[in-house]
Amino acid sequence: MTERFAEATGTSAVGGTEEHAAQALSALFVPIIAIGAVLALLPLWLGDSRVLMSVSVLGLAFAGYTVGFNLIFGSTGQLFLCVGALAGLGGYGAAIFADTAGLPVIVAILAATVVSSITGGLLSWIAVRRSLGVIFTGIVTLIFALAFHNLVLGLGDLTGGESGFLIESGRDTFLRSDAPAFYLMLALVLVYLVVHGLLRRSHVGWAFRALRDDEVAAELAGVDVARYRVLAALIGGAMLGMTGAVYGLTQGRVSPSTYDFAEVDVVVVVMLAFGGIGSLFGPILGAVTFTVINELLVDLGHLRLVPYGALIIVLFLWIPRGVIPTVGDLLRRRRSPPG
Amino acid sequence: MTDLLSRLPAIILDGVVLGLQFGLLAAGLTLVYGLGGVLNLAYGQMAVISAMAILFAVNAGVPILAAVVVGLITGGLLGLIFDQTLLRPIYRRQGEARVLLSLLLTLGVAFMVDGYLNWNDPTAGLTIQIGGGPIDVFGVPMRRGSIVGSAIVLAVFGLLFVFFRSTVLGRAVRSVIEDEEGARLVGIDPSHMLRIILVLSGVLAAVVAVTQSMIRPVTVTAGFSITVLALIVTVVGGLGSVSGAFLAGLILGVINTFATSEIGTFLSLIILLVAAAVTILIRPSGLLGVRE
Repeated sequence: MTERFAEATGTSAVGGTEEHAAQALSALFVPIIAIGAVLALLPLWLGDSRVLMSVSVLGLAFAGYTVGFNLIFGSTGQLFLCVGALAGLGGYGAAIFADTAGLPVIVAILAATVVSSITGGLLSWIAVRRSLGVIFTGIVTLIFALAFHNLVLGLGDLTGGESGFLIESGRDTFLRSDAPAFYLMLALVLVYLVVHGLLRRSHVGWAFRALRDDEVAAELAGVDVARYRVLAALIGGAMLGMTGAVYGLTQGRVSPSTYDFAEVDVVVVVMLAFGGIGSLFGPILGAVTFTVINELLVDLGHLRLVPYGALIIVLFLWIPRGVIPTVGDLLRRRRSPPG
Repeated sequence: MTDLLSRLPAIILDGVVLGLQFGLLAAGLTLVYGLGGVLNLAYGQMAVISAMAILFAVNAGVPILAAVVVGLITGGLLGLIFDQTLLRPIYRRQGEARVLLSLLLTLGVAFMVDGYLNWNDPTAGLTIQIGGGPIDVFGVPMRRGSIVGSAIVLAVFGLLFVFFRSTVLGRAVRSVIEDEEGARLVGIDPSHMLRIILVLSGVLAAVVAVTQSMIRPVTVTAGFSITVLALIVTVVGGLGSVSGAFLAGLILGVINTFATSEIGTFLSLIILLVAAAVTILIRPSGLLGVRE
């Protein structure tokens, strides 16, 4: 049984089909370990520059957001335009649980993660129950994101309003120093990749693919579409919340702009669409690429949005499906010429 | 209670003023989506560029009415350019892939416009002053700018309804919205209709800039919030429905003004958002949308 599932789901990032389960697992872990090893070397190179280190930590946070979003949108087709809001729920949640309620930092992070996870699951449950399509799910979650943003601004006593929330907890610990914060975020991202990779290889991934290809056919074949969508949102929501919480704690401050729709969701959508929607490693490629591009253009100030926008247009005209699926197709075509 | 009753006319009138603006915002967006399945996230930026064109003309000494005409032409041209360039590759795709690509490409355009305008002059903003004191409407003093702005919106919607009900061209456009294949069979070229609608949508974006600037300044950074608001009103009204946009705008406008006056500014926006979400959840096709 496991073998059959592995065969059915055993498509690696570049789309090759594995022969049996053992190979499938190594095909999952080898690239993840490789990504981890390469990224782990970054602080050796950038370690002297506080600015570049904080850019890298933010880049990793975006990698985490994009993996979570990929699990929800890429795997089950739910356009969640509340990535920043769910991350913010984690960030503000952890700050409030730790500082205001006085919980230990690790408990605060976990509690905030649960809050984000349940909120994500609830949004998904509503969308599934009302059988909302992609665009409508997008609008409802966008409305949730805007409402969250306004709540944060309005509940100034609790959240610090416009100026943000200075987090006391975790001060003078490893959370606030550059390299440990970097490795913590990196570990999170790698764990997310393993979770998503294992999900894709289990019966859950099989259901994901079925419902994304053809929802009605999947339902007829006995896949409980609603259950798997909510499951994806629960897990993805937890990833977003935990990333937001840990990132906030490493910065020592969360503010409305940390989790703003334009600052987070827009960027995450672009990163995922660039790497490849639904591909396991697309989020990493997208996050790294756009973090580097953003940093290269940072001297231009506001004007940097011009080449950034032009790049988005050119990229999506040229490779609308994203880099990893496109390259995967090219490789496969070369390996087995038509005819 | 009597207190609320005495405030009610003012709340409703202010709500209608705001609601007409909301409705106009959505009209240009909903038409393009209904006809081409294209979601234009640079719609707010089209309005901002038109506003900047008017500002430029006014600063160059052009009289205000002529400057407004310059703005409308700019908006129309933007629609035409959009149709001739970005829309070509978008139109080659179908269904969800088309929506997603249009979303990403227009997002790229929005970034470029925002970045340039913000760099060029971050403080620029268009305000059109309508002189004279407040006018009494049903015993409620209303600002002149609000009245002129609302009158323009009503006139635009009137023209749109006449266009779609009574002219051959308008009916041809509607036939494409309802059934693209059928329209093709009776000799209507959908891409020709789409070009007309995009120009119209650009002009409507320019009208948004004009009427908004009579009530509050249209700044270089307003693009994104205009687009988001337009998107919400569009969805509540039903994608592709101009009368739906009108109705949804009015309802959301009155709800928002009521909440602002009776509950407080901060919660009013949340109440507006909740009202929009509830409408979508009860009627996923929107108030006047067609059920698929």
